Amino acid sequence: MTKKKFRRWTLLGNKKSFILYLIVFFIIIIALVIQGSLLTFFILDGIIPDLLLIIVICLAFLWGEKRALVVGLMAGLLQDILFGPAIGFFCLAKMIAGLLAGLTSHEVYRDQLIGPMLTAFFVTFAHEIIVFYLTAFFWGNTVDLFVALETLFLPRAIYHFVLTMLFYPLFYRAEQKKYFYPSFK
Amino acid sequence: MNQTTRRVLGIIGLIILLLSLIFFTGKFRSHYTFAEDLIMTGLAPVQGFFSQLSMKTATFFQGIVDYERVLQENKELKTRLAAEDNIRHQLLELQKENHRLREMLDFKVRTEYSLLPAEVIARDPSHWFETITINKGYADGVKKDMAVVTAQGLVGNIMFVSKGSSQVLMLTDSRRAVGALVQRSREPGFIGIVEGYTEKTGYLRLTNLPPEANIQPGDTVISSGLGGIFPKGLVIGYVLETGKDQYGLLQQAIVIPATNFDRLEEVFIVLEFPAEKETLEKDYAENHTDGDDDEEEVQEVDPSGE
Repeated sequence: MTKKKFRRWTLLGNKKSFILYLIVFFIIIIALVIQGSLLTFFILDGIIPDLLLIIVICLAFLWGEKRALVVGLMAGLLQDILFGPAIGFFCLAKMIAGLLAGLTSHEVYRDQLIGPMLTAFFVTFAHEIIVFYLTAFFWGNTVDLFVALETLFLPRAIYHFVLTMLFYPLFYRAEQKKYFYPSFK
Repeated sequence: MNQTTRRVLGIIGLIILLLSLIFFTGKFRSHYTFAEDLIMTGLAPVQGFFSQLSMKTATFFQGIVDYERVLQENKELKTRLAAEDNIRHQLLELQKENHRLREMLDFKVRTEYSLLPAEVIARDPSHWFETITINKGYADGVKKDMAVVTAQGLVGNIMFVSKGSSQVLMLTDSRRAVGALVQRSREPGFIGIVEGYTEKTGYLRLTNLPPEANIQPGDTVISSGLGGIFPKGLVIGYVLETGKDQYGLLQQAIVIPATNFDRLEEVFIVLEFPAEKETLEKDYAENHTDGDDDEEEVQEVDPSGE
């Protein structure tokens, strides 16, 4: 395998991309730690938002589906290691969520907030449905899908819709200011 | 083959790979891999720091909001404590008498649980898996399947252990089931199964109870000790409502957990619990009439384990 092919295969591209993924890796780690630890501030009527998913959606929206796939994979893998029932579980769900959010970004303006907010709302449903069926397939579910849609997915989707309003401008600004692409002289 | 087809095939391949990974790591593994252990152990202190920060900040703001109420509650608690002190002395007397009588009857004194305190440092962000991470691992003697409790009641059991932290599968997780019985009736034939109630977050469901089982709202549900993971007699929760199951054949009940799973800060890992307990209880049941049940309950409920 040539060097170029290897880079393409690993989706790392070049040094710039590698640094970018390294930054994303640390953002994910911080989000995971905050998510798992600062739980008292986030639980609203028994519903915990998935900060990681919001980050994946925001970045996917800014960067498109190819990078979103890698970001989703990274976020899911780390979530699997820290909390997941098996390796690959959240990896798969977050990868597909990133992919969907990335594909949506072509159709909507990136500098308007409503696009990523609506994407977060719908992609949350997709993510939760994937997790629902994976759980049902591997461990068995006792809850009905329609009950889950109403009591779990919808409140979470609304929560994510609102939180994206706070998070997306941060990532948008970071992208504009090129914080994800530091230059080392 | 064009680029789009290649991409689609690549994604399908990735999905199949991930599904196989879930299958192999989810069904067969009982330990963390070296890399997972390293990440878990490395992140445990960071998680602990944020957890502490969160708890302290929350307590600070809660304190301001609740100042008046806390003041009133403090007064009430002080009055109640004075009254409880008297009861405690009476209990101690009864306990001594209990020990003395047991010795007279040639019973072995039941050994106490060996508990290891641990702090909750993280919690699973998804709602499908109710797990928490605690800051004690195999370096502290923690092993898979050990029971985890609080002073209020049962929390769950250890699922995975790393060097400095462990993951606890809580009772509210739908993958877990615990043998349970109603403390008031204590009929051994009426052992139900407590499982996470996914339709109502944070509640439990007691199922498989025979139709004639004596159960009513307000009853305390305790662990049955069947299965060998959880010691017998730990409080699981309190019955909220009872009814028939979906087929109308058996009884079921919605149970409010004794432990507040949303606000767990410190837990205890049961390192050891008396294995001879069941044999003792069998002997006890064979040799004694109903009137002796009361003294047994006093010992099991007492969290201080004196």
